Amino acid sequence: MIQHLLGPRRFLLFLFIAAAAVVLLTSLWVKEADQYAKQSNLLIQMKELDARLDRDVLRVISFLLVQYDPLVETTKRLRKLEKKAKDPKLSLYESKGKRMDDAIDTYWASVEEKLQLQERIKSQAAFVRNGIHYLPVAVRDLKEVGDNVYEEVMALLNQLYRYNLSSSKTELSRITEQIEVLKLLNDLPSTQHNTLDNIVFHMQANLKGLALLKRLEARYLSIPSLQLFETLHNIHETYQAEDARQSRQISMVLSVIILFLLMGLWQLLRKLDTARQVAEQSWNRLHDAVGSLSEAFALFDSDKQLVLHNNKFEKFYPWLSDRLQKGVSLKELLGIMPTTFERSTLDGEKIENEMPLELYLERPDSHRWYLASNNLTTEGGLVCVRTDITESKKAELELRKLSRALEQSPASVVITDTDGIIEYVNPKFERISGYTASEAIGQNPRIMKSGDKSPEEYKEMWDTITAGKEWRGNFHNKRKDGSIYWESASISPLRNERGEVTHFIAVKEDVTAQKRAEDLLRMNATVFDTTTEGIMVTDADNRIKTVNPAFSRITGYEASEVVGRNPSILSSGRQKKHFYQELWETVLHQGHWSGEIWNRRKDGSVYPQWLSIASIKDERGRVSEYVAIFSDITQRKENEEQIRYQANYDALTGLPNRSLLQDRLSQAIMSAGREGWGLALLFIDLDKFKVVNDSFGHVIGDELLQIVATRIKTCVREVDTVARFGGDEFVVLLQDISEPEDAAKVASKIIETVSRVFDLSSREIFVGASIGITLYPEDADTPDTLLQNADMAMYLAKDTGRNRFQFFTAKIQEQVRIRQSLEHDLRQALKRDEFELYYQPVVDAGNESIIGVEALLRWHHPQLGFVAPDTFIPLAEEIGLIGKIGMWILHVGCRQVHEWHQAGLEDIEIAFNLSGRQRELGLTANDISLILRETGLSGEFLTLEITESELIEDTAEEITWLQSFKNVGVKLSIDDFGTGYSSLSYLKRFPVDILKIDRAFVVDLPDHRDDASLVEAIVAIAKSLNLKLVAEGVETRAQAEFLKKIGCDYLQGYYFGKPMPAFELAEKIGVVTDPAP
Amino acid sequence: MDTYLTNSIRIILFLLIVLTASSTSAADVELDEPILPLPLAQDLDPKAVAIGDKLFHDPRLSHDNTISCAHCHRLATGGTDMLPKSFGIRGQIGAIKAPTVYNSAFNFVQFWDGRAATLEEQVSGPINHPLEMGSNWLEVVDKLKADPEVLEAFHALYSDGVTPENIKDAIATFERSLVTSNSRFDQWLRGDESAINDVELEGYLKFKDYGCASCHQGMNVGGNMYGYMGAMGGYFSVRDTPLTKADLGRQNITGRSEDRFLFKVPSLRLTAINGPYFHDGSTETLEEAIRIMARHQLGRDIPTKDVKSIISFLRTLVGEHPRLNP
Repeated sequence: MIQHLLGPRRFLLFLFIAAAAVVLLTSLWVKEADQYAKQSNLLIQMKELDARLDRDVLRVISFLLVQYDPLVETTKRLRKLEKKAKDPKLSLYESKGKRMDDAIDTYWASVEEKLQLQERIKSQAAFVRNGIHYLPVAVRDLKEVGDNVYEEVMALLNQLYRYNLSSSKTELSRITEQIEVLKLLNDLPSTQHNTLDNIVFHMQANLKGLALLKRLEARYLSIPSLQLFETLHNIHETYQAEDARQSRQISMVLSVIILFLLMGLWQLLRKLDTARQVAEQSWNRLHDAVGSLSEAFALFDSDKQLVLHNNKFEKFYPWLSDRLQKGVSLKELLGIMPTTFERSTLDGEKIENEMPLELYLERPDSHRWYLASNNLTTEGGLVCVRTDITESKKAELELRKLSRALEQSPASVVITDTDGIIEYVNPKFERISGYTASEAIGQNPRIMKSGDKSPEEYKEMWDTITAGKEWRGNFHNKRKDGSIYWESASISPLRNERGEVTHFIAVKEDVTAQKRAEDLLRMNATVFDTTTEGIMVTDADNRIKTVNPAFSRITGYEASEVVGRNPSILSSGRQKKHFYQELWETVLHQGHWSGEIWNRRKDGSVYPQWLSIASIKDERGRVSEYVAIFSDITQRKENEEQIRYQANYDALTGLPNRSLLQDRLSQAIMSAGREGWGLALLFIDLDKFKVVNDSFGHVIGDELLQIVATRIKTCVREVDTVARFGGDEFVVLLQDISEPEDAAKVASKIIETVSRVFDLSSREIFVGASIGITLYPEDADTPDTLLQNADMAMYLAKDTGRNRFQFFTAKIQEQVRIRQSLEHDLRQALKRDEFELYYQPVVDAGNESIIGVEALLRWHHPQLGFVAPDTFIPLAEEIGLIGKIGMWILHVGCRQVHEWHQAGLEDIEIAFNLSGRQRELGLTANDISLILRETGLSGEFLTLEITESELIEDTAEEITWLQSFKNVGVKLSIDDFGTGYSSLSYLKRFPVDILKIDRAFVVDLPDHRDDASLVEAIVAIAKSLNLKLVAEGVETRAQAEFLKKIGCDYLQGYYFGKPMPAFELAEKIGVVTDPAP
Repeated sequence: MDTYLTNSIRIILFLLIVLTASSTSAADVELDEPILPLPLAQDLDPKAVAIGDKLFHDPRLSHDNTISCAHCHRLATGGTDMLPKSFGIRGQIGAIKAPTVYNSAFNFVQFWDGRAATLEEQVSGPINHPLEMGSNWLEVVDKLKADPEVLEAFHALYSDGVTPENIKDAIATFERSLVTSNSRFDQWLRGDESAINDVELEGYLKFKDYGCASCHQGMNVGGNMYGYMGAMGGYFSVRDTPLTKADLGRQNITGRSEDRFLFKVPSLRLTAINGPYFHDGSTETLEEAIRIMARHQLGRDIPTKDVKSIISFLRTLVGEHPRLNP
């Protein structure tokens, strides 16, 4: 049977391979022949064109070709042919090997050489022919001269032409000789003289040209292109022969393969025949075997026709008995099945398919079961086997009923053998314990032990059941996942028919849920009693059911006093009726509410509480109770209030502070923008407040500020905002201003009221107010800009006389703009290296030698040029840049002086101006020491100058700061002495070494009496305090003489030298600077 | 068997060679005259001619879209711009006189110095020359591809659309159509005795006698060989302008000193209408040009009478083309 299937396939395969081999063989022959034809054709063309080139070139040389177009054509064709020959598609070039490629290359190189020579031959031949054409014309012209000369020349011309044809050597020498003679003969008149000369020239040119042409010809003919072609051709033939030999070999091999294949086919056919005979024998044997089977058996072929069946099959299907003959179709048999006939799966599900290919059950009637199986044979036939299983089926049904009861039991059931090893567990057990049956079976039940039952208890249980009695009790068991559960169990022995105990059966119920509920209840009660939050439970009618101890602590009511009453007894009455309505609606709809509420204690006091109410619903969804939980939040409320106040109000005056002002201003701008209102912002700065503070102390200063705040408030309406902006600055925001005049009125009023006398600690104190006013929307529309504007305007008010107000104007705006742009540039200046340090000499008044310099900063602005220090230094201080700049100055200056020292000027000192702002920005004595160390300068050469006005601050910090510089060995100097604070008391407190008399006192010396005596006084003071003196601004000889006379130690000023760059100063003091760094 | 096979192939091959050689020489009918008539018709693909025509007149071939081929090769006036040197992009002046495009298909090489073997090769020359079109193939292809009309035309003819190869093919094909056939002299060559008059015939005979036809021969009356400018004496030393690189001629290409002053002999087909003359465009009139040729190429002076008759012969060489309107 199997060979029946395989045979034809293998047969076809062999046939196919044989056919393919034949096709391959044929195509090989055809391809070879085609390729060869093409190559041969090409070679023929090459040969032909080459020959034609040779022929035409020779014709050109012998002047036979009057025009060169044929040569051009041949050249073009040759070049095309070369491309073709070298095209790998032809399988000639780059496919047969190096020998062939070399032969082709050499051949074509020779052709190329010929083509190149051909071009030269063409040109040369044209040149020579040109002469040949012309000479007779020229000679004819001689005729007019005379027959003698004419004939002589004519004879020579004939000789020349003969030579052109024969080119014999003897002829050449004769012609050359005669031409020479002809030259000598030339005694003709000048016109003919030229003619003859021309003829001689052309004849000589002809001979020369002809010689060159002959040489080119020889070169052309020496090119062995013919031999090269022969070589190429031979190589081609050799390759061809080789190819032919190879293809013959391949054909031979292919033929042998075909022969073998055909033999294989014959062998195969013989085998098939033998197989058929063997199959017949097996068939008979099979028939007998089938007959003796106890199962019903039937075999159908691939067309589903009956091939074979046994007697049992007829007995199983009695209604088929008269139809069961060989060849009957399966369809026909299925068609006469009785109506009671049913098919089902092994699990009892009905099957509609008449011939399912699986194991299934057949029920010919309600009493019998057949186990049926249908299987396909490999060739598509069908084997049907039926077994009668009626008896075993009945027993199985009986058993299944009993086991189902056990399987579906609501209690978990475990059966063990007498040693306690589990033999069975039901599904309920699996669900409760988490162990599957397969995991549990074979184990001892102690895998579930949680460990809280004592060995005694187990022993008691074991004794009871081994005695054959039933045992009841609780287990605290452990599931597979480790969780614990409670079970109540009953264990009883099982006996066999002989009454022996063979197994124990345990029936158990999970009682965990009950146990849990009990625990939870106990825990809740504890929480209820111990929490710090008050808890109150009311029933559905909102009567108090129970309260906890915290409730009593917070409200003052004992449980007994409130149970049964309505919670409204706690109400403070602060909330309106609708508040409660909303509260209850929320609870009813959302189930809970929380919020702040004010309630009343038993003692009548009212307090805030945070209250959460939740409804509890019964199983039918109706509200059964309400639970209210609350805490007393009195303390928290107070804290919040205070924080808010501190964040927004000034502690001293109670006025809104800067941050609240910003808020209000933003809001005011928003609503003003919306409503189209105008706003005015007044920036108030108290005049002379610093003096008050300094003179009378902070306590009085603070009191004054409080009164000022009250006074300003009286000048404005309720809707306006008065804020303390910081220090002695106040800001007033006026809402809804229609005219600038309104703001001016308020400002006047404020100035007037602030200027009135303050009676503090039985002293009469006067201050004033300078006010800057800016308007929204005219001047600006953002809070920051408005504040900035008002601030700028205030400064102008102050600058122009104090105790007055000033509106912000375009000019101020321009100043602001300039300042901003300057600020921007200033920030870049260090980076861009725009600063330079200038040095002004300080001289000894005695011998006028330079003893030191003052370092002065210069800024070379890229656009503005030189910017005055008065302009940018205050700005740098304000924006904090003075810190960096200061460090830079110190560095550069110290390094410079150190260099001078190195150059021999060993005692030059240097002075730097110090700003109080640098202290705030963190300049310390440490920094100075560091700079000194880095630059190598000793501290004794360094003086730090501080202006008199800086010292007004006069604080302990300031003194400590200055002292710290002294400690690192630096000198201190008071700059601009005499301009600032009128008290000299600080001179004692500050660790000063030097005073610098301000230029203002020097300028009118020596003639100005007052100044002269003042300076003399200063000198006296300095001497008495043992301080050195420097006079600044010395510009004349007279000034210098005067100052020297009164005992001033040092002088500085234009008279001795302007501030100048380092190199200039170096020149001045005679230092030879080393140009190399 | 091997040797037998090889031998028989050899014999067959030999016979083939002999037969083909004899048959071609039989077909090669040679006329006695050094000048041949131009063919009367060309077998060209009209689509390629049409595209080439468009491209020939398309200034997008130049870098700044200002110069087309036709700019220097004006078809109406004889295929040149009649200037000593042509203008390139941005008004730049070129190095050499523009030769005519008419009958250029019959030249054995292209350019005065023969640096292009074919018309296709020639196309790249002016496009890439910085003094001429100042462009490059990448740029040209990009510009043309942006034009849907051009794209459509190319795709109708070439499977791979707009490529440098196809542009060259189209322009060269168009140039092959620029043949000035059926001139009066061609008619005479074809046997019409009355096509030229006696003076013109006399001019032709002089043309041959003086040796002009040694170089100016063939279908194109020139254009099939190289010749030295000043074969019989220094043309460049007499010329009143300094020597330029272009004057070196073929030496610029081969680097060989023997090729100095060697140029492609130009066609005289349209010489009657195509001044100024020579590669340097230095000579205004035809008369002067003939005199210079006689002096420097032939080594003599020619009488005015003969010059005039040669000119009248040269006029008969001008043929017909629909675009030509001198």
